[in-house]
Amino acid sequence: MATATYPPPPPYYRLYKDYVQDPESAPEPPPPIEGTYICFGGSYTTSDVLPSLEEQGVRQLYSKGPNIDFKKELRSLNGELQLHILELADILIERPSQYARRVEEISTVFKNLHHLLNSLRPHQARATLIHILELQIERRKQAVEDINRRREEARRILNESLATLDGH
Amino acid sequence: MDIISQLQEQVNLIANLALNTVGTLQRDAPPNRLSPNYPEPPPHPTEDGANFSEEPKLMGASLVKAAKQFDLLVASLPISETGEEAQLKRIAELQAENDAVGQELQKQLEAAEKELNQVQELYRQATDNCLNLKKPDVN
Repeated sequence: MATATYPPPPPYYRLYKDYVQDPESAPEPPPPIEGTYICFGGSYTTSDVLPSLEEQGVRQLYSKGPNIDFKKELRSLNGELQLHILELADILIERPSQYARRVEEISTVFKNLHHLLNSLRPHQARATLIHILELQIERRKQAVEDINRRREEARRILNESLATLDGH
Repeated sequence: MDIISQLQEQVNLIANLALNTVGTLQRDAPPNRLSPNYPEPPPHPTEDGANFSEEPKLMGASLVKAAKQFDLLVASLPISETGEEAQLKRIAELQAENDAVGQELQKQLEAAEKELNQVQELYRQATDNCLNLKKPDVN
């Protein structure tokens, strides 16, 4: 039974032979990649932006615009979803052969819902960052105050001991 | 779990409930009368019974409950209408303040370390003097 061995590690290790003596003789690490790159035969891109619904070929049901009121849109989409489910039930009773369009509309509503929720993620990331920064500022201020207090106390004790020694 | 993941889970739950509802009703529905010429179809003996007329009600109720839960989760979203630019501005402000406080902390730390070294030096001298002045006990 023939089995293929693993490929050998890349031969770049020879370039670092004198690294211990002279760190400059070895090549620099490669710079970070920008744009698109190919990894194991598949091409990836470095910018992780959420593709808009039109690019995925799905009709967008909520209003576009610079600032979307997420709560209102999510609630209205939820109501539309319930309505579509009811319509599906109705049409299955009366004209069962026309279910396909209703099912497609329901799936469009679901895709819109998920796209809205995914577009909330950057907002959440920024809010988390703000929260972390605020916590860190709070901790640093606390540390500064602690150090000040201890220094004051140390100075006071030194002065007291000086007074005691002088009085002695 | 954070609120957005909860919302996503709730959407998936509603999808599953809708799927189960329509699928179950379609599978278990008794046959319908096609035209007034043909007689009523004979009732199927094993199915039906008391369960069938209540299943749509139960499933409909769970669908509506899931939808209400979704609305509740949406209401508890901590979003204020700040928009992206306002958030970025706030992040820049916080970063500047963080840097300022960090430098202050660094300064205080260095001063405290200097004082610590001074005190340690004084202690060393004091103990040296003590050791030199102290007469050794003979017994």
